Amino acid sequence: MKALRYKPRRATALLALFGFVLGALVIGGASAASATPGTLSAAAVSPADAPQSIDIWIRQQADRSNVAGIGATVTGPGGFSQTVTTGDDGHALVGIANPGSYTVEVDVATIPAAQGALKGVNPRVVAVSADNKAVPAYFILSNVAATPTPGDTNSPGQSSNSDGGPTLAEIILPRVATGLIFGLLLALAAIGVSLIYGTTGLNNFAHGELVTFGGLVGYMVSGVAHLPGWVGIIAALLAGGAFGYVQDLGLWKPLRKRGVALIPLMIVSIGLSLALRYLYQFIFGPGLLVTPNDSSAFLKLGPVSLRSTDVSSPIICILVLLLVAFLLVRTRIGKATRAVADNRSLAAASGINVEQVIRIVWVAGGALAGLAGALIGYYQPVNWETGASILLLIFAAVTLGGLGTTFGALIGSLVIGLLVDLSTIFIPSNMKFVAALLVMIIILIFRPQGILGRKSRIG
Amino acid sequence: MDFNFITLALSQILEPQTIGYALAALGLAVHFGFTGLLNFGQAGFMAVGGYSFAITTTQFGWPLWAALAACVVGSIIFALILGIPTLRLRADYLSIVTIAAAEIVRYTVKTPDISPITGGSDGINGSSDTFNALNPLPDIQYHLGIGTYNKEQLWIRIVGWVVVIVAALVIRQLMRSPWGRIVKGIREDEDAVRSLGKNVTWYKMQSLILGGVLGGLATVIVIIPTSLQPDNYGTQTTFFLYTIILLGGATTVLGPIVGSIIFWVVLSLSDGILSLLVSNHLIPITSIQQGPIRFIIVGIALMLLVIFRPQGIFGNKREAHFSA
Repeated sequence: MKALRYKPRRATALLALFGFVLGALVIGGASAASATPGTLSAAAVSPADAPQSIDIWIRQQADRSNVAGIGATVTGPGGFSQTVTTGDDGHALVGIANPGSYTVEVDVATIPAAQGALKGVNPRVVAVSADNKAVPAYFILSNVAATPTPGDTNSPGQSSNSDGGPTLAEIILPRVATGLIFGLLLALAAIGVSLIYGTTGLNNFAHGELVTFGGLVGYMVSGVAHLPGWVGIIAALLAGGAFGYVQDLGLWKPLRKRGVALIPLMIVSIGLSLALRYLYQFIFGPGLLVTPNDSSAFLKLGPVSLRSTDVSSPIICILVLLLVAFLLVRTRIGKATRAVADNRSLAAASGINVEQVIRIVWVAGGALAGLAGALIGYYQPVNWETGASILLLIFAAVTLGGLGTTFGALIGSLVIGLLVDLSTIFIPSNMKFVAALLVMIIILIFRPQGILGRKSRIG
Repeated sequence: MDFNFITLALSQILEPQTIGYALAALGLAVHFGFTGLLNFGQAGFMAVGGYSFAITTTQFGWPLWAALAACVVGSIIFALILGIPTLRLRADYLSIVTIAAAEIVRYTVKTPDISPITGGSDGINGSSDTFNALNPLPDIQYHLGIGTYNKEQLWIRIVGWVVVIVAALVIRQLMRSPWGRIVKGIREDEDAVRSLGKNVTWYKMQSLILGGVLGGLATVIVIIPTSLQPDNYGTQTTFFLYTIILLGGATTVLGPIVGSIIFWVVLSLSDGILSLLVSNHLIPITSIQQGPIRFIIVGIALMLLVIFRPQGIFGNKREAHFSA
């Protein structure tokens, strides 16, 4: 009977959760949809009445403008080969008679120098299934050479340095700067993961989506609505907190009441992560979303040149982290949170409202993750999987510091941030996450409780 | 309107992808369903097995049996590397380490520096020659109602399903043996089994190896008719496998196999219906927006399954409480 009573409420709660996400993102959806090719058939070369087609789309990353006059060749099974040129809308539609795997290669020689260079894979392999029309083949042009992976803060450092090769300080110091900034951003997200784990025992695999949510809100407010950056950051903070609250109310609280064990809860968070991530992609498309930023140097410290956001966002991070630390150590609710994290039953027995503490932890975790997402938007373009791609680094930071210890999460984040950026001195930059993940595994072998954890926690 | 997407969906039953996922899901059921190991890195086992097979076949020209042995040995080594540090720890540590290790494998094989061996982001083509050389089927077109196959396509489908059935029978017998009772005992109460004098860590390791080898072999079935693509072995592959075993029943042998068939047929059906609706302008989304929908469906299905029917289609509710 008990299970039956919760059923309708849970289903509606779940619906409400997705309704919230949809509602919160619908503005961005409208704007993103107007940018996606609703009208491509009009201007593009008509692919006759072919049952399938490939939509080649070439854009400039910086201002998201479409690039016309770029040549591309599509080759495929049965000797299929066709060369097209993009129209004014940056699209070229190629009719495909037979489903199969096709290769789209952009003719690099046709790219004007002003548009920079092609970024990402070229040629690109596109799978065309039966009746799939306008299968997308995106190509991004960019003047910035770096690939957009998280932690690739494409600017501090690399100041113009005309005399000979870089010195050791010129190699290390910019990386220390980016590493620390990235570590602070990770810390914002990691503290939420750590608090949620500490109070509820849940490893929240959907935490990355809270980060992405913040990044998308920041992009919508600053990039689409053209409001000042601080408005976007505050909006992301508030929206992230609201999302955390709605998630707890609509999903996690009913599941806790139902007595669902921790492993199923973890799998629920994976399902939620998958659904949310692709909901973002559904609304915003697979492209990169650039939050406007002033890229001129604001401060120069030796070989490290910093933009104004490189200075302001660590300051924001440090202030927020100090505030969190103060709340945790000095205030009543902070002490209650630590008591719940330490021993839930004992805390409940001594009169602490555990449910209220958990609710506050979800709101705070969501708000911090949202803030982290919005700030990440100033270092790299956000997209639908920004948060998911750093989730494992967040876990690594939390594990390194000690699962469930808040200050451990901070230290772990800084170590991981530094490690990710400094490791690129020795290993190829696309493997920089590997170093951080390896360190996490090694820590688990020798000190599974982490740097600040206590042995009893590993059970 | 064109309704041939229904045949297309039904033909998923014979697709090597379905067969491979059934085998990998069976391996994951050994880990998660039978032993209670929270392995979130099954995609890593699949990648390691697949690369071991593809590299030894295409680069070193090893015969089929030797490349298969390499696949098995690769999976075993990966299981040992993962298991030794983590099997003594609590379940959620294993989950984080396995998911991290799987991503390490994927990042590593994609590194341009070793792409002469691993093919980088493009993966490896052409590991099917030694397998197709053993094909005894006459060279004609085979019409099977749900699709027409040439002799190579039919050969991998037959061998694939035979492998899955043999593996399922072996696992069924194993789980009825004393060994199976011990690993199920570990799932229910590790300390109780330990107090009976059993070496729990070693049994968990055997289970990790067994399921991992099945995952490695699964990739061989998937890549023979197509190619090995590193990004097919990201975290979402593992999550697909969890959806599959929870759909069919994680604590059963039949569950992962039927789960895989249902999973891919339903995904293909939903793709077909969506394409139909989109191309006839019946729903207001673009064909680009159509792509993410299948993943949203999988994510929501995974949540609902775990919450409302954790035992899946064939499972027994008493066995499926998965307490940590």
